[in-house]
Amino acid sequence: MADILSTPFLWVVIAIAVYAVAYLGYGKWIDRHVWQSNAKRTTPAHMYMDGVEYFPVSRYVLWGYQFKSVAALGPILGPFIGITYGWLPALIWIIGGNFFIGWLQDYGALMLSVRREGRSFGPITYEFTGASGRRNLLAFVLFYLVIISATFIALIAAFWQTYPGTFMATVGIMVAGVVCGQLLYRRKMNVFAVTALGLLLVAGSIYLGVLVPVSISGGLTPTGAVAPVAPNAVTYAKVNLGVWAPAAWAAIVLVFLAMAALLPTPTFIQPTNYLAFYPAYAAIIFILIGALITPATNVAVQMPSGPFLMDPQGLTGPIWPILFVAIACGAISGWHSLVSSSSTSKQLDIETDALPVGGGAMLSEGLLALASLIAYMVLAPSYFAGHTNVAAWVAGAVVLTQPFLGGLTVPVLTTFFGLVLVIYAITVQALVTRFYRMVASETWSEGRFRALGNKYVATASGLAVPWLFAISGSWWALWLYFGGSNQLLAGLAIMLITIHLAKVKAPTKYSLIPGVFMVVTTLAALAWQTWIFLHAVILYTQGTISGAGSVLFNVRAPINTAQYAIEALIVNGVFVAVGAVLFFVGLSMAIKLFRSYFRSRAEAKAPEVAAADGGELEK
Amino acid sequence: MDRKESKDAKAKGKGRGAKVAQNVKGVLYGMAAHGHVTAALRTRMHLEHLFMFITLGDMLGVPVIPPYYSLRILPYAVPNIKSWKQRVFRERDFTDNVF
Repeated sequence: MADILSTPFLWVVIAIAVYAVAYLGYGKWIDRHVWQSNAKRTTPAHMYMDGVEYFPVSRYVLWGYQFKSVAALGPILGPFIGITYGWLPALIWIIGGNFFIGWLQDYGALMLSVRREGRSFGPITYEFTGASGRRNLLAFVLFYLVIISATFIALIAAFWQTYPGTFMATVGIMVAGVVCGQLLYRRKMNVFAVTALGLLLVAGSIYLGVLVPVSISGGLTPTGAVAPVAPNAVTYAKVNLGVWAPAAWAAIVLVFLAMAALLPTPTFIQPTNYLAFYPAYAAIIFILIGALITPATNVAVQMPSGPFLMDPQGLTGPIWPILFVAIACGAISGWHSLVSSSSTSKQLDIETDALPVGGGAMLSEGLLALASLIAYMVLAPSYFAGHTNVAAWVAGAVVLTQPFLGGLTVPVLTTFFGLVLVIYAITVQALVTRFYRMVASETWSEGRFRALGNKYVATASGLAVPWLFAISGSWWALWLYFGGSNQLLAGLAIMLITIHLAKVKAPTKYSLIPGVFMVVTTLAALAWQTWIFLHAVILYTQGTISGAGSVLFNVRAPINTAQYAIEALIVNGVFVAVGAVLFFVGLSMAIKLFRSYFRSRAEAKAPEVAAADGGELEK
Repeated sequence: MDRKESKDAKAKGKGRGAKVAQNVKGVLYGMAAHGHVTAALRTRMHLEHLFMFITLGDMLGVPVIPPYYSLRILPYAVPNIKSWKQRVFRERDFTDNVF
């Protein structure tokens, strides 16, 4: 038995205990005293029941749905950057952020929508801030989706390149999804039989990935190391694109995403997502088990605990605000508020289910982030050099699980966990691409630019622009923009919740303080990241094109060499523009929400006067 | 403990076990399939909207097929009119389409 203090075991136990207090103590108190949930109050699911969008669902089903909808790549990759400042600050943010802010936002967004007749954030924003506020939200969400898409496309390409076995495994799982979809919907086969067959095909896909690794960069990972493959594996495909390989991989990702966005959902995306669910969640369970048995398996923490107030590698900046946007999902995420108010609120059976569904799912996602952080903690610091080894999670997962999954060889486990990373990214990105298409058609439904709202044009623009970002910008820069906009959305969501509470004269400080913290922190992060690119542009005008902080430093291969200095300058300039738009649209939105909050509070405090005609009270 | 009490305790234990199994099944269904089921329901909803619009379009001022056929279909369409109106007139927003 290893010394318990040198393993991650203790931290898992502490995190579970704190989350239990968050749910059973703070959560129940907020539920009872702030929102005053009432099981007898009619929810939209009953009020507007139509059997399609509005219908009551058991809290267990809804919890599973909510968890699956919010748990994706965010809690897995966020800790990769967060651990730069030492694992202790990352751990404290994952536990503390979720305790005071994360679950509160998911639960609050759900309750807000339920109390506002099941309406989603668009109409609620319109009600609280007027037409310009909703326009701001629409613009912000559009940019947010482009940044998410760019980040995920870059990551999927990096995963395929780093672990050559994962490409064929991904293709296998897609084909399995299409086959199962046909059997289920065309042949009307029994769902259990289809599931069993699908799982066999998934297992076969992983094995196929191990047998036929595909590399188009001569077997090199993005860091230049030789990719891990089985010694008896079939040779690589005879293509060597060198530094252009990530761009080519990213283009292949677009093919999958275009199919997912344009084909009818039952044909492709739906059955594929269904099959992908099983390996994705099995992986989380394996890692958590692996972390809990570390005292027996002698897997020790290797990363330094920190805290480092600045990124020791000088890449990402100061711990505040960067850590708080690098680790988004798992601590707090704005995407969750969209999910909570979009469909979950329309299916909530009784109000008292909101805490287990909204709060419980978020706290569970915290455990997923914790499991990922632990997978990084057990790796050597060399894995994190340059923040380029984005698939380090796979190595950590193998270290944690190999002792008890010993029957499976390292190449099989590597392909399995690598595939899980791809699955988490590609399934969510497919939905994001579809959502972008709908937002684009809403934005440009009429007027001179209505062609941009066309199904095919919107899909093409929703993939081409992110692809350009993905192949030119460093992934961590994209990730910080993604985290910044995602967390800002969370701050704005908490402000909407606070405005509602002010309107109904409920205590607001429990959401106002986290809301102000998130808005200020995320705006600071966006400003910092914009400054990084702006500074590089300024250096260029002064004649410095390479070295730390330069235009070449902020972009990735192949345009990070002097011959592509102009292209690198353009990329830096575009990123300045994107950061500035996100910052100013977010700032404008925040000002509108704060004004609305103060107005609501003043209205709530004003004495009520009875109308002379016996009608409504005048305010 | 007499035999009856023992039987009750057993049934209670079994009932609790069945309830736990039911809840686990619910969670798994929620994770794996609920989103797909609601997506399928929404697809059907849009097709039904289209069907109602085509068959009863003349009553809305947009004659798509001759009224003779609309009247033949009317008895089958009547039961759906209420929920159709409810869904069609509902305020919709892009944020409703996240999932």
